Amino acid sequence: MSLVEGGIPTPPEKVIFKIKRFDPEKQEFYWKEYEIETFRGMTVLDALLKIKEEQDSSLAFRYSCRMGVCGSCGMVINGMPRLACQTQVGAIATEGNPVVTVEPLYNYPPIRDLFTDFTSFFEKHKSVKPYLIRKDPQETETGDAEFAMTPEEYEDIYQFSLCISCGVCYAACPVAAMDPLYLGPQALAYAWRYVSDVRDEGYEERLKIIDTEHGCHRCHFAASCSAVCPKVVDPAMAIQKLRSTLYKKKLGAWKKKTSKKVGPYHYEGPSRAKKVPQLTEALLPGVDLEAKIKEPVNIDIELK
Amino acid sequence: MSGGTLKKNLPGLLQASLNPWLVRIKDHPERLAFILHRVTGVIIILYLMAHVYVTNTPTRAGWEAWTQVMAQFGNNIWNKIGEWIIAGCVIFHGLNGIRLLLVEFFGIGVGRPVHPKPPYRPVSLYAGQRLMLLIVFGLAVIGWVWAGLIIFG
Amino acid sequence: MIKMSKASNIQVWQYITAILLIFFLGFHLAERIPQITGLTYHQSLDAENVYHNYSSYGWALWFLAAIALFHGLNGLRGIFLEWRQGKTYTLTVNALFWIVYLALLGIATWTVISLPALG
Ligand code: SF4
Ligand code: SF4
Ligand code: FES
Repeated sequence: MSLVEGGIPTPPEKVIFKIKRFDPEKQEFYWKEYEIETFRGMTVLDALLKIKEEQDSSLAFRYSCRMGVCGSCGMVINGMPRLACQTQVGAIATEGNPVVTVEPLYNYPPIRDLFTDFTSFFEKHKSVKPYLIRKDPQETETGDAEFAMTPEEYEDIYQFSLCISCGVCYAACPVAAMDPLYLGPQALAYAWRYVSDVRDEGYEERLKIIDTEHGCHRCHFAASCSAVCPKVVDPAMAIQKLRSTLYKKKLGAWKKKTSKKVGPYHYEGPSRAKKVPQLTEALLPGVDLEAKIKEPVNIDIELK
Repeated sequence: MSGGTLKKNLPGLLQASLNPWLVRIKDHPERLAFILHRVTGVIIILYLMAHVYVTNTPTRAGWEAWTQVMAQFGNNIWNKIGEWIIAGCVIFHGLNGIRLLLVEFFGIGVGRPVHPKPPYRPVSLYAGQRLMLLIVFGLAVIGWVWAGLIIFG
Repeated sequence: MIKMSKASNIQVWQYITAILLIFFLGFHLAERIPQITGLTYHQSLDAENVYHNYSSYGWALWFLAAIALFHGLNGLRGIFLEWRQGKTYTLTVNALFWIVYLALLGIATWTVISLPALG
């Protein structure tokens, strides 16, 4: 029963949590069940914390922000990879089936219980050079000016820069499920985020990195990455754009748009400053306008 | 790697390419399309290799042999069913292939990046390719029935 | 990571052959549709009709074999590369791809070049 129409229903009073845990000593998975009392608005992460507090302090999992920002708490919940802190128990457990299954993210080496090893995830992320590259590195070093970018150009990359590196997309991707070398949705989406950025000039380098047998050609547009991404980064869209750009460039039909450096010392366009007309008479009574204009402006900014 | 072995948590080729419920995501026919595309593709290439060999019969053994082989195919119901399955595979693979060509090669049908707003649905899942996919499923069924009428009729 | 020539050198052909296949394979299948040819399915496979097809556009059938085999075997190659990884393995799969492709294309070429006359 939901209190708010269209809202997330209140979960059943008691919910059974089936948790797939990993024993690092025996190198084995095993399932364990816990029954807990719920409250309205309880997230899966809340439930796991409650289990850890009240029933089994040995349960290990990763979390930090509890609000879908840090990207630590990706888990496979009821068969779908998602963030534990963004999934309410009420949304998945019903009176008829008050069971929630929690598994460590697929396609990552398990470390312990719900903990998985993200080393290769971050290595792949790093390998696509996720930062602005300029032909003249001094331009980013000195930072005496900005790189021009229109709001539309900003919108082109904004969505892809929302990624919180939660790794949920890798767990959903069928290719990552068979090929551990596959660069994967997150890294490829980041490659596209920088390739399509008008401020970036490192596209040649980056396209070379993703143009391998385990790069963008391994994606088959199952789009599962987009379907699970908690931040709607839509990696599937990014990868298709990246790949078609690669082919277009290969066939000579693509030219990278790059912006110039603009700033106080480089701006050459027409001046946009408007001249405000000088006051001719004082607005307050008893003020000598002539004397005021000559007087230097002093603003006391010292804090009391 | 510091943790356990990856193998334990990696479903592998067969699971990933055959099981559409490997991860349970609602409203997600693209995954099914991926699996069907792959399965039909493998069936077609296996058939194609045999096809290249069989069509070599006249050159290898003369036209009488060809007539014999064709008569064998025409009279055996299992061969006909096999042919019908291949036809279905080719129809689906071809139609879905057109969609994938547009999406992967021409980069169209996945929409444009947007400023995400509630209810936070990824653009590529409701852009043109989704409609194309539904049409592909529909046409593939119609085409398969038609192929059946031709082969068995 | 395995250092090799750019993967797109081959992969771009996967899509070019796909575009060509739409037309060539579409035509090849249309040859079997009674509403288009006026022959029943099995008549269209008679020696006489097949010989006629070969003599009027044997080159198209050979070309169809060339692109279809490439497209299909390259797809299979991709699946194999996803199955296992490693330098020797990758090189073997790539070599096998070309060997099988050329062998099958050889059979197709033989079929078209030395097709005996009917009768
Ligand atoms: S793309 Fe989405 S699912 Fe993948 S790591 Fe980034 S935020 Fe997570
Ligand atoms: S679209 Fe590509 S990266 Fe995303 S889940 Fe599918 S295969 Fe993986
Ligand atoms: S705890 Fe930070 S994203 Fe869930």
